Amino acid sequence: MLDVFTLFLFNIIVYNIPLLYGTTGEIMIEKSGSLNLGVEGTMAIGAVVGYLAGAKTDSLLVACLVSFIASGLVGALFSFLTVTLQANQNVTGLTITTFGVAFYYFIGNALSNSAGGWPKLNGTAFDMQSQPIHIPFISDIPFVGKALFSHGILVYVGILIAVLMWFYFNKTVPGLKLRAIGENPAAADSLGVNVTLYKYTHIIIGSGIMGLGGLYMGLNLGGAFEGSNCWINGYGWISIALVIFANWSPAKALLGTLIFGFFNTLRVQNAALAYAFPDALGWLTKIPSHFFSALPFIITLIVLIISSLTSKGRSGEPQAIGRNYYREDR
Amino acid sequence: MRKYHLVRRADAQFKRTLIYYAIGILVSLTIGAVILAALGINPFEYYGRMFSIGLIGNRYGYKSIEGLLKIFVPLLITSLALSLSFKMRFWNIGGEGEFLIGAIAASIVAFNCSGLPNFVTVLLMCLAAMISSGIIGIAVAALKVKFNTNETLMTLMLNYIMLYVIRYLGETKAEWNFFLEEESERPIFGTFPETAFMGGIPIGPFKLLWSVIFAVLLTVIVYVYLKYTKQGYEISVVGDSSATAKYAGMSVGKIVLRTMFISSALIGLAAAFTVSAAGTISDTITNDVGWTGIIVAWLSKLSIPAVFVTAVLISILQYGCQAAATQYPAIDINYADLLQGLILFSVLVADFAANFRIVRKEDAKNA
Repeated sequence: MLDVFTLFLFNIIVYNIPLLYGTTGEIMIEKSGSLNLGVEGTMAIGAVVGYLAGAKTDSLLVACLVSFIASGLVGALFSFLTVTLQANQNVTGLTITTFGVAFYYFIGNALSNSAGGWPKLNGTAFDMQSQPIHIPFISDIPFVGKALFSHGILVYVGILIAVLMWFYFNKTVPGLKLRAIGENPAAADSLGVNVTLYKYTHIIIGSGIMGLGGLYMGLNLGGAFEGSNCWINGYGWISIALVIFANWSPAKALLGTLIFGFFNTLRVQNAALAYAFPDALGWLTKIPSHFFSALPFIITLIVLIISSLTSKGRSGEPQAIGRNYYREDR
Repeated sequence: MRKYHLVRRADAQFKRTLIYYAIGILVSLTIGAVILAALGINPFEYYGRMFSIGLIGNRYGYKSIEGLLKIFVPLLITSLALSLSFKMRFWNIGGEGEFLIGAIAASIVAFNCSGLPNFVTVLLMCLAAMISSGIIGIAVAALKVKFNTNETLMTLMLNYIMLYVIRYLGETKAEWNFFLEEESERPIFGTFPETAFMGGIPIGPFKLLWSVIFAVLLTVIVYVYLKYTKQGYEISVVGDSSATAKYAGMSVGKIVLRTMFISSALIGLAAAFTVSAAGTISDTITNDVGWTGIIVAWLSKLSIPAVFVTAVLISILQYGCQAAATQYPAIDINYADLLQGLILFSVLVADFAANFRIVRKEDAKNA
């Protein structure tokens, strides 16, 4: 009986950490005052490019680096278009998503139809490196050991990024300057902060982090390319929702990932739970899985409306979000 | 410190913008050609096949036109609708969701009013779709006006909520679910009764649907509405500055509510046209027009005649890719999306070049 719970907790983490990557990446970008709706596309590009590099070199490290760089380049494109060329952020971001997802399918289909075929993950050194690591003693603790301490390395990297980002925003000078830009770029500029440099740097790093999340998703799904299903499968959009739910805080993003992950896992495992506890949880099977799929968006919509009803003072939303900063208009 | 800086051109010339745009599109097509060549495909042959949308050397050429128009009509109407709200700087990116609500509402009418004449049924479908999509539009606008809730994120969430609603309807076998084919064991969406199909004027084997004629007419109507009516003028003032509109004595809230109702209702209409022309509904019925419409509206710089031309071009791009796929199996429909993205990126650069100049600091001081 304990196994059902252990597996449940294990699945929450293993299948939903990509959300944490997407969310922390987007928080970093939004804190600089830019709204990037291209999360889905950025993750897709990072995933497919990183995966192929990893399969070629048989190294997880190379896969991560290439994935980070590929998505970082997408971030550089977004920065160039919106920061330097003053293009509209919504349109640019949405186009990155269209482009990125199409890129994913296009590369995948082209490779699958080629002589060599799509590179397989199964049994390679690359595969081994992304498998769960076994920490002596800690991983053997009953219940929590399996659920919390026997994951692949990318799970812990994701959590580490969230913690470091929280520290960066709240305890360091560059983090403070970044938040100042997100609130009021003109004021930050007049105090001598290089707004353009800050925006570029953080958009690129944020996009790179998303790319890692995309790579994680691909590896978690066994690295198989299917013509009709993208690895990212809407996680980029849920990440955008999660940013709002987490009130633009990396620490709350971790909590939010677990909560959204809980519903996500409930959707997949409701039958197992209902079977294990027919009396207490039998009603779970009566709820359509679509409801759980839609739940993150419903919750976020409600949070969005409620937080606009209450005072703006406590919201973590950067005040200058979505508006380009044109120096000459100051 | 910085040697160069940007200056907005005082004279945004139409001719210059056009030339820069053309260069931008040419550059993106060239990048697309390089990708094709890398895959061992002759880009000239492929583009030739794509832009002729399978018309040349085809005895059933009219089928290509019908297929093209099926993509074109919803895209045109959705782009027009989105342009209305974007002109007001209202970020309605919920085209997908509003389209789905309209499609569901129209299908409810189609499945339940089989006794009525064809014309009445289709009219009722359009009305039902327009009202239900319009109500959602008003709800979003009201929250924005009253509490300044972020409309971009609100409409984004609605897109996904609606997507799961339609999937639920399409995948749940139940007594009440009249959307599904009754005979089928597996849940699939049913076909509308004959009376719910869009009629048209037959021209030989080709049938020119009423929806096509109406969509073209609608372009003219929206153009006149924006250019020559008081309401259209109000939209542009609110878009330029809502403070100015307020000082001029305009009721900004009312204008936003009204425009968002029209915008969403038009998207609902596009949905009703689409399901009626298809004779059924599905969870991919939108064909991504909610997203593509944003790209079309933006490529056109929200000018209504340009929206018409751009919608034609993007439809040719999408349908052409489908048509060419029969000849080139390695290149699928995603190539159209890839090109679309490249075109938008390069047009954004072109737009910048047409509107800004890079000036050296010293020159600027002397000037």
